[in-house]
Amino acid sequence: MTKIPKLKILFLLSTFYFLLSGLASAAELFFDAQTQEFAINQQFQVDLLLDAENKELNAVEGKILFPVDLLELKQIKDGGSIINFWVEKPAVVMNDSVVFSGIIPGGFRGVFGPFYKGLKPGKILSLIFQTQKEGEGAIEINEAKVLLNDGKGTPAQLSIINYQFSISEKILVPQIPIPKIEDTEPPEPFTPEITRDPNIFEGQWFLVFASQDKNSGIAHYEILEKTPRQSLFNKFWQKEQWITAESPYLLKDQKLKSYVSVKALNKAGNERTASLPPSRPLAWYENYLVWGIIILIIIAGLILRFLLWKKIGW
Amino acid sequence: MRSRKIAVIIILISIFGNAHFLLVQSATQSVNVTAKIEVTVSPTPPVTPPGGGGSYIPPVITQVIFLGWAYPLSKVTVLKDGQIAITTIAGPDARFNVALSGLSSGNYVFSVFSEDNRGRRSALFTFPVFITQGAISQISGIFLSPTIDVDKSEVRRGDNIAILGQSVPSGEIIITVNSEEEFLVKTKADKDGVYLYNFDSSVLTMGQHLTKSKAATDGLLSSFGPIVSFLVGTKTVFKIPEKCPLKADINNDCRVNLVDFSIAAYWYKRTLSAAFKKIEKERLSGDGKVTLTDFSIMAYYWTG
Repeated sequence: MTKIPKLKILFLLSTFYFLLSGLASAAELFFDAQTQEFAINQQFQVDLLLDAENKELNAVEGKILFPVDLLELKQIKDGGSIINFWVEKPAVVMNDSVVFSGIIPGGFRGVFGPFYKGLKPGKILSLIFQTQKEGEGAIEINEAKVLLNDGKGTPAQLSIINYQFSISEKILVPQIPIPKIEDTEPPEPFTPEITRDPNIFEGQWFLVFASQDKNSGIAHYEILEKTPRQSLFNKFWQKEQWITAESPYLLKDQKLKSYVSVKALNKAGNERTASLPPSRPLAWYENYLVWGIIILIIIAGLILRFLLWKKIGW
Repeated sequence: MRSRKIAVIIILISIFGNAHFLLVQSATQSVNVTAKIEVTVSPTPPVTPPGGGGSYIPPVITQVIFLGWAYPLSKVTVLKDGQIAITTIAGPDARFNVALSGLSSGNYVFSVFSEDNRGRRSALFTFPVFITQGAISQISGIFLSPTIDVDKSEVRRGDNIAILGQSVPSGEIIITVNSEEEFLVKTKADKDGVYLYNFDSSVLTMGQHLTKSKAATDGLLSSFGPIVSFLVGTKTVFKIPEKCPLKADINNDCRVNLVDFSIAAYWYKRTLSAAFKKIEKERLSGDGKVTLTDFSIMAYYWTG
């Protein structure tokens, strides 16, 4: 071997070393799945994970692109995500991509656990796909951004690993089914808050709320506003009218005389309700119940007086 | 021969570039070293059957116990997934111990912060943890960063500026002051955890400077706490204590929480009103729109 090839090898090695070292320091967004080979009409799950690589990150956003001719997106799961507050809850756009954006207050360096040392990458979301036809493709991450927990929102170096897969009619690899987790637990307890601010809803009272679900994920929220009058009325004559809503929610009762209940429902149908008493309860004379009791007492008094008058002439 | 020389130069640049890179990386890692969090799990202890006789199935308890160091007799707040879950008071030795029950199995993001004897807040100490169903998880080694403040918003060059705060009793405090070069000084907290260091500003250049601190005790090292800025100039201006955090508190209630997040989320990808544009400039990134950067700033200053 001549000296030039040796130098070339050395040059290539040092270049690779430099590049790999550079990549090692960057945060990483990548997919995790049981396998990369599938049969037609098979369902599989891919998890999008974030490896902070010793950085402290607090915000992430991105767009996941998938080939619609090969895959059908069946479900988006955000249960057990490291994201505490979604700026944009993961949702399908243009039929071929999923956008997401969220934050982790205080920052994220990795997940601690009792059964391993160090830190593990954290799950952002999971996608369940069904294969459509034979072919090869990739699930890609586009327009991704992770920001440092430095109080300035500085973008962190990011490396992205897309997910390559192949679909074949004659698949020889044993197929791994999607693990089915029976979710019997309600979403996490939460406390809604009534507030107002001149910068939103023209200074009117609104409600903020957020719960988490560790298994199937939050499906939606429902809200019920009821005054003590309605409360009594509904008890006997009418079914309560829950409205599907999102936070922030502009309250209908701006006088704040209503009970406000928020129901968080997870994708398995379990629910958790948090209720707030009226911020400004009705005055006693505004309450029909009080008037009802007073009228009853008066009637009872009159009846008693009538009976006594009849019996002893009093 | 010439190509060989070029190749050697490229190799040297590559190696030196890499060496420089590794140095930067190791410096960054040393900055990020924090107290060692340990997560241990033990099964829920058996419950004695009430009144004897008959079979009794004890309820499944999933609990997390947090153990760590804050400041002597300070209020310690635990956030669960960004919302206040429980508070406690640290002992005179700054140690705290607090338990949280009623959890499911899964990933939780817990954060702990404390307020010192002057109401100054520590940085959030955040750790995502996987919680096991029906077990008691103990998270130990939480060491909150010291609080920090300065006595002057502007110091005349050559005068001293006091850098002060609170940490654990008798803890070693490492203070850094960023100028064109970084200055690192050490001092010791007193028995109440209070520290004060008079920094000679003559070594600093004129202009804006930043300072932060971290603490060491019993072989543990905290992460750096909040960053405080001051100006080196031609006059001395004493600092008026800030009641509320200046950044991210959109509704001015001295807290950065879901309410602020919701207000900012309302303006996400919308044209800002003139009033909100002013707030965005003062308290968020100041780029005239609400983007992920603004939410990142909010996440940094989060109080729950």
